[in-house]
Amino acid sequence: MSPGIEQLFFGIAAVVATVSSLLVVTRRNPIYSAMFLIVMFAAVSVIFMLLDATFLGFMQLLVYAGAIMVLYLFVIMLINPRDGDLPEESGVTEKSFAAGVALLIFSLLSFAISHSNEVERLSSLGPIPLIPEVSASHGTIRAFGLELFQKHLLVFELTSVLVLAGIIGAVHLASRGRKDGSTAPSAAGKGLVNTDV
Amino acid sequence: MFSLPALLYLSAFLFSVGTYGVLARRNILVVLMSLELMLNAVNIALVSFGRVHALTAFAGEHSGQIFTLMVLAVAAAEAAIGLSLLLVIWRRWNTIDLRQLCRLNG
Repeated sequence: MSPGIEQLFFGIAAVVATVSSLLVVTRRNPIYSAMFLIVMFAAVSVIFMLLDATFLGFMQLLVYAGAIMVLYLFVIMLINPRDGDLPEESGVTEKSFAAGVALLIFSLLSFAISHSNEVERLSSLGPIPLIPEVSASHGTIRAFGLELFQKHLLVFELTSVLVLAGIIGAVHLASRGRKDGSTAPSAAGKGLVNTDV
Repeated sequence: MFSLPALLYLSAFLFSVGTYGVLARRNILVVLMSLELMLNAVNIALVSFGRVHALTAFAGEHSGQIFTLMVLAVAAAEAAIGLSLLLVIWRRWNTIDLRQLCRLNG
């Protein structure tokens, strides 16, 4: 692809990511937030592919937009909040406080980006499509996998332990709430109430 | 336009939007989604630094991308745990409002 096309695609993806991230945090209904979050993940995946991280772009689509968002949608479907269940939104003072903190973080980060010597040196190399330093196989599944399993094998194994702990914790938590089912209208609870009456 | 500072500004903006969502919203679901948004913002910065450092990298050509893969795994574990906690909270108190969960005693 020519650099001009890449710039165009990056501009579109950046605008889509910005707008949909704003919509995620402002929509009242969580379903709409989830939908706009999927759009934002897809835009970030486009940016990854433009940065020669092809494998990671596909992983972003599979894991985030595929697996994690389906998990969110399943939970929304399970608890099925009606309009009255949705919490009332924060007042103006809380919202302006949060916006102030977010603005402070953004201005601090922008100050750091614009005054960093390292960023200046790296950006003096020119726009990213014109930096010709990567090999042709950069970011492909082969090059990525070779480096992952040769140089970073221990980190990979530790991550698998982390994910296993996450799975066990999630299963334990989700099944425990059902067993002692205090307020949930489960079949066992109903049976107890009936014998009491 | 498609340069390192533009990517970093985009990443900083998405991170700030995520911070706003975590602080301002009362719906636990949206707070968890804002956390995912912040993690993704960091991923953009990691991949773009990895891209411009590709030649001079001392840890390896793909270290930024491998770091991002680890963040992806952490995000998946975090989403699973967070959502099952949310389910327990919903069964126990029948609410997804963070302000109603501010007491320490169950």
